[in-house]
Order: sequence, then structure tokens, then C-alpha cells
Amino acid sequence: MQQRRIVVTGLGIIGACGTGAAAVWESIRQGASGLRPLSLFSSIRYERILVGEVPADVDRLAGNVRGSRSDKLAWIAAREAVASAGLPLVGRDRRARRSVEEQSRTAQRSVPTSERIGVVLGATVGGMLGTEKFVRDLLQPRRASYGVLRFHECAASADLIARQFGADGPVLAFSTACSGGALAIAAAAELIANDEADVVLAGGCDSLCRLTLNGFGSLLLLDPKGCRPFDAQRAGISLGEGAAVLVLEAAEVAAARGGTVLAELSGWGAACDAYHATAPQPDGDGALVAMRRALTRAKLSPTDVSYVNAHGTGTRDNDLMEGRALRRLFGDALPPVSSTKPFFGHTLGASGAIKAVISVLALRHQALPPNPGFDAVDPEIRIEPVRAYRPAALTHVMSNSFGFGGNNVVLVFSKPPAVVGQAPRLPSPGQRQPERLPYNFRFPIVGAGAVNPVGETTCEMRAPLPSGRAPVFACGEFGAEKELPVARRRRLSRLQQMTLVAARRCLPAQFDPAHACVAIGTGLGSLNEAAAFVENLWRKDEREPLPQRFTNSVHNALAGQVAIELGARGLNSTPTCHEISFEAALWHALRELAAGTANLALAGAADELNPYAVAAGRRWGLPVPGEGAAVFALTTTDGGPRSVVAAGTSTDAMLRGSVQAPRVPPMAYLHAVRLGRYTGDNEAEARWIADTVDLAKLDVLLTGANGWPALDAEYAAVAEALGRMAGRKIVVGTYKQWCGEHASASAFGFSVAIRLVRGEVRLAEQTGDCRRVALYTLSPHAQKALCVVEH
Amino acid sequence: MQQLIEELKQKIVAALNLQEVKPADIKEDEPLFGAGLGLDSIDALELVVLLERDYGIIVKEQEVARKAFTSVRALATFIEEHRGQCSKGA
Repeated sequence: MQQRRIVVTGLGIIGACGTGAAAVWESIRQGASGLRPLSLFSSIRYERILVGEVPADVDRLAGNVRGSRSDKLAWIAAREAVASAGLPLVGRDRRARRSVEEQSRTAQRSVPTSERIGVVLGATVGGMLGTEKFVRDLLQPRRASYGVLRFHECAASADLIARQFGADGPVLAFSTACSGGALAIAAAAELIANDEADVVLAGGCDSLCRLTLNGFGSLLLLDPKGCRPFDAQRAGISLGEGAAVLVLEAAEVAAARGGTVLAELSGWGAACDAYHATAPQPDGDGALVAMRRALTRAKLSPTDVSYVNAHGTGTRDNDLMEGRALRRLFGDALPPVSSTKPFFGHTLGASGAIKAVISVLALRHQALPPNPGFDAVDPEIRIEPVRAYRPAALTHVMSNSFGFGGNNVVLVFSKPPAVVGQAPRLPSPGQRQPERLPYNFRFPIVGAGAVNPVGETTCEMRAPLPSGRAPVFACGEFGAEKELPVARRRRLSRLQQMTLVAARRCLPAQFDPAHACVAIGTGLGSLNEAAAFVENLWRKDEREPLPQRFTNSVHNALAGQVAIELGARGLNSTPTCHEISFEAALWHALRELAAGTANLALAGAADELNPYAVAAGRRWGLPVPGEGAAVFALTTTDGGPRSVVAAGTSTDAMLRGSVQAPRVPPMAYLHAVRLGRYTGDNEAEARWIADTVDLAKLDVLLTGANGWPALDAEYAAVAEALGRMAGRKIVVGTYKQWCGEHASASAFGFSVAIRLVRGEVRLAEQTGDCRRVALYTLSPHAQKALCVVEH
Repeated sequence: MQQLIEELKQKIVAALNLQEVKPADIKEDEPLFGAGLGLDSIDALELVVLLERDYGIIVKEQEVARKAFTSVRALATFIEEHRGQCSKGA
């Protein structure tokens, strides 16, 4: 299938140096740093340290929406982006929707339908600022409000935007530390390129919080003088906060609705260092591969790049590594480089998206943003970044984002061609040809490994929580002592150990790590580590921080540790999408297999019991919580040699020639992965499933029913509608009775599906053989996913 | 000094969860990082916390930590020099 071109038609941004694209660009033109003394919360240890705090009244600007500060920042940016794109998104109000449709008919313009509009955001801390207060209240004799936990997860911001705009396409969130915003944009591009969505609101957000301030402080990475990227005297980062959202559209969709094209997203590429939990690979190997992959995807060579918006955090290690990687890519022909971090601070999950907006604005204004704080060239880096704002002819701009765990993501934005071409009419949903559906394929599943709960048991709740016992599904002893070397284990969190044990159990005997990609989804992620860090913070008034806990608290430490273990240097992704985190991981890993940038994909999900969540669940009467980790190995369709993205004259083994995909007898095949939003209309849901899998050949529908009456009724109603459509009763199975409720439960369900098609287990209602199983998952936040496993 | 060195060995093993290492295995002049015990930058930061907790020495710059932690003996010397001072490298 011809890959679709992707254009940017709208921008929204809020940060320390301004609210809105116009204000931000004015600050950049003036070269005024956005750093100022911290005032959002008080800190004993870092009183009045320079940060990129948003000066605007975020609550007032966000208006009538509920959510964390992070959610509100994201909403403010998304609202601007949608308005600037002229997208008629009016939410769920039917009358407003009808009027939009009518207007577009009179204007003879097509408007993308709501199920073709997605939201993909990157975030690192999510609602941590609120969760910190919750922890403080628990530790003091005062009432803690459990309600704030509903905004804790990184996915909450994307949920909010989807809800407000009525976007019914895939709604995803990624949490890969400092590259999350860029990875979200890359994933959004995949959705559009692969025809799974027409329009995606993509970006990132993060608010300042005590965890990251004290965490980076404990790593001795905060520069008291404010960050000075690439400067010889640089001494660390300045933390920041903000959000940025881009409206990405398929070029023909933008043309059909008459949208103004601001830039083209011409390339994106990801690669993992597989080196260390926090330190970058010193020579910039992973960064270089990510840059090359982005250029290859854009069909450009290094000489085409007219400006690099560097990751440039201001730490000794990052800037040195990035400088080396840039020299390796560009040689002596280095284009102008600058880091715009001093305008915003390091905004973590938002950073990649903010840089994407700056890159597009640089193309629009045909000017180079400066690098405040830079004074003298570091003789080791030998890069003098742009000192002052100046006009320049820019055609292609490269935007770098590198995160903890060696998560490198690079985006390339290009000046749009003068004429975008004819505006074709969009096919209406009814006209779509089923064989064109982008989610049907047949990838061999060559390995499955898991750490499963041993059965229902009870756990003791301890202070600071109210004491009591709660029923849970816990993993107990899961074999880490036997399966992981002591030296490897000593610094890993329990959840990392669970994930690593599952990953080791799924590995085929032979594989080529350089071409392996890893995607591990998670709901609550490393909350236990973050909570330990924050509890310690409150108890000791910020003395004696726990640096190890902090580095373990990033959600992508799971996928990162798996990559280090394997040496897997392909894409490293951490979707945090509530109950469909596993399916999102599977989807992301398969996109890499399909693109040829990997020939082995490890996809899985992991979650562990968290005391706050258990206590909240008890209060709210939620189903019995559980935990577990499951990782699956998938390979390319043919299993034969496959050419892997080759680029330039690199001597890097990673980028050369063709490699052998592992030849292992498959245990089953993955036939489809599809992500979307639950509509509440049973007939529409059944049709969505029937569009993805041939009902005549579907033997079992495996659902995430968990004993919660409202959810179970939804699953039952969809199964019934599906039966009516198929003209026979569809056998329905469930799996949460064995693993409890947790965001990664569908990964357990996936292993049940594999065992069903292999005939290793049978359902009571099953009459014949089971050759094809559809795993259907709904989240309470209205995400849905479907995976089809076949014999 | 020798007493401080022995004390430090025990504390390092406990703080860094070095299950396979006995305090006596750590040689005074052996490099703590890279080769030797195979510790890395995150372990160094855990030792920074140990200095703050047990000796009241606050290290604020990576460069200071890098020099102080070359070996157990260097660490002991660093502690002797800075004990009682409230901060270093501010």
C-alpha cells in the first residue's frame, strides 16, 4: 500500500516563555529565557531554583475542564491547535455535529468523520503533582482525597482531549521519559501513514512536580544558574513544564477540507541505546541511528537538513553525546544547531512536542531560533549553536529528542511544496474497501513468557493507608532469584524484575538483537517506585532523596531494561493507555516489523499491585485487583532475510545489508490489532469487530469482563449483536477470573487466546476446534482494542 | 582512618545491595567504579545520599562526587576533610 503523506495543519503551545504560538515565537525572536524562580510549590531544598514554570493562570485558561495541571496544559494547547487548523471539532453534541456536516456540504468540503480522528500524547509525570498531595495527606492526620488518583495516569490528558473534541479514533499515550512527546508524534504519523486515522492531535504535556525536581536534584543534574546547552560551563538542566499539540493530517484529507498546510512531517525514526538506565551511550550510537532512520524515511540526505533543533538539555553527558552524534552524521558540514530548552526548561514528556512546534514555526518564519545561556564553545563538543535569532532559508528541519533508557526519537519537518495538488473527495466510511483495511496481516508469534498471579489471596494494607485486608491476585515469588543474576537484580524494581523474567521466558533461541524492537505497555507503571520516592520526600523534608527509586520511577524503565538485557536497539516504546496498554504495545511493535526497521518484536505489558490503587479500589467497590507481566516475541511474515533500512555510507552494522529473521516454528499467528474508542452503540461495536475479522471464521470472543456489572453488560450486549450479525451464537470467554483486574490483564488474555487456538485449553461452551480468537478489550475511559489470534 | 574505611565498606555493601560482595572483599585502593566493583553513576548518587545521611556532608556537583569516590580510601579522606562542614561544591 502506498504510504500516505503527513502534513501539519495546526499548532498549539503553552510554556514558560508564552501561551500560544504567536507569543512563544515572539519570546524566541527576542531571545529571552523563560526561566524564573520556582513558585508553583514550595521546596526546602530547591527554594527559588530557576525553572520553566508556566506563568499564565492555567486553571483559568483551561476553563471548565477537570483534570491535573498536566491535563489542563494539554487541553489549552490542543484547543489552540484545533482552532488554528480550522477543524470543526465540536464534541459530542449531535446538533452541533449536524450543523458542521451541513456547512461542509454547502461549502463542498469533506470533513473527516469522528472515528478517523485520533489523539496521541506523550507524558512522563501525568497527574503526579496531585498524587504528591494525596501522599502528603495520607502521611498527615488529614483526609486524603482519593479522587485525585483518577487523574494520576499519563493517559488522562489524551482522554480529556478526546472527550472534549469527540475524537473517536485511536486515543493513545506514551511515556518514554524525555522523548515521549516526539514518540507520540511518530506514533501518530504511523496511524495516518498506515490509514488507521485521517487526523491525529499529537503532542505531549507535563507539569512541574516535586518528584522530578527532587529526582533530577538527586541525580545532581540541576544547573543552579539555569541550563546552558552546549556551553563549556554547562552544569545540568532546568526543569520546565508545558504542552504542545500538532494537528497532523493525511495530505489528501487536509486538501479535501481546505486546511492550510504549515509543514510536512516528512520523517521520523526511533532507536534505543540499550546501554544504561539514565546515561546516554557516550558516542551517540542510538542517537545517530534515530537521525539516520528519520532521514531515510524522509528520503533525504544529511546535506538536505537546514537546521537542527537539538535535544540539548545542558547536562554534561547529553550535550557531549549529541555533539558527537551530530559530527558523525554531518561531518564538517554541520547545519545551524540550537537548543530551545532555555526558553521552556526541560519539559520532559512535552519536550519533543514543543520542539516539533518550534521546528514548524522556524520553517514558517524562515528563521533560526537562538540558544540562550550559551557563552563559550566546549572544546570537546566543538559546536557553536545559533547565538541570536536570524532569518535563514530553511527547507528541512531536524528535531531531536533523547530520553532516559536511551530512548531516541528524531522527527524531520519540511517546508510544504508550493502546490499540494488536487483536492480529492474523501471516500465516505461506507465506501471503504474491506481488503484495504490496514490491520489485517499474519505475523508469527514465536515466543510467549509470563509472570502470572498464583490465584486469589489477600494482602495487608499498611500505613500510611488505612489498615485492613484486601483480596488481590498477586504474583508472589515469581522466580527472579533463579532466573536473574544477583548483580543484574540488585537495582531493579520488582516490576522491572517481573518484566525481565517474562521477557527472558519468551525469547527464541536465536535472534539478532540489533534489529529487535521492544514495546512494553503499562497502566500504573512504576507508581510504587515514585510513591516510595515521594513518601520519603515528605517524611524527611526533602533530605536524603532516593536516586535509585527516581530512575526506576520512569515508566519506560521496563522496556528500557528489557532492551539493555537483550541489546535490543530498535524502537523502544512504552504505551500507557489504561486497559489497552498491551494492545497499543503490540500495535507499535508491529508497525516496526511492517516498516522493516525490526525483524523481531518483543511486545508485552506489565503492572503490579499498588497500595493506593488497592485502597482506592476498596473504597470504590471495584473488582479484585491483580498484577502480572507478559511478553510475546513476534517476527516478520516470511521469516526469511529482510532488507533493513539502509542509509548513507554508514559502517554501522545496524544500518547495513539484510539480516535473518529468527526461524522458529510459530506457536500461533497474529492476524489483526486494531485500536479505537468505544462508542456505546452495540451495533456499531459489532460492526467494528466484523470489519476487522471475518465473523464466519471467528470461534471465540475473549472479553475483559471482570464482574463489574456495567462493564460486563457492555461486553454481553456487543457479543449478542455480533451473534445476530454472524447468524449464530458466538462463544464468549473471559480471563480476569484468573488474573484479577489490572491495566495489563489483556496481555494475560492474549496468552489465553494463544492457548485456545493451540487447543491447550478449552472453554466449556466450545463445541468444535478453536482456530481463531478475537481478544476484545474495553477500558473505563472508553478506549477499545481488538487482537485476533489464529492457528 | 582505618576504622572509617571498615565502616564505609559495610555501609557501601548495604546501601548498594551488593549481595555477592563481603565488606572484606573491597580493597581500599581499588577503583569503586567501572572496573573493580563495577559500580556506575547511579551507585555514586546513592553514595552521595549516604554521605548526607550518615556524615552530614552535602555534595551538590557531580564533579566533586567523581573525585571523592575513586576508592574507599579516597572516600574516607574526603569524609575526614569535610566532616562538620554543611556543604561542599555549592
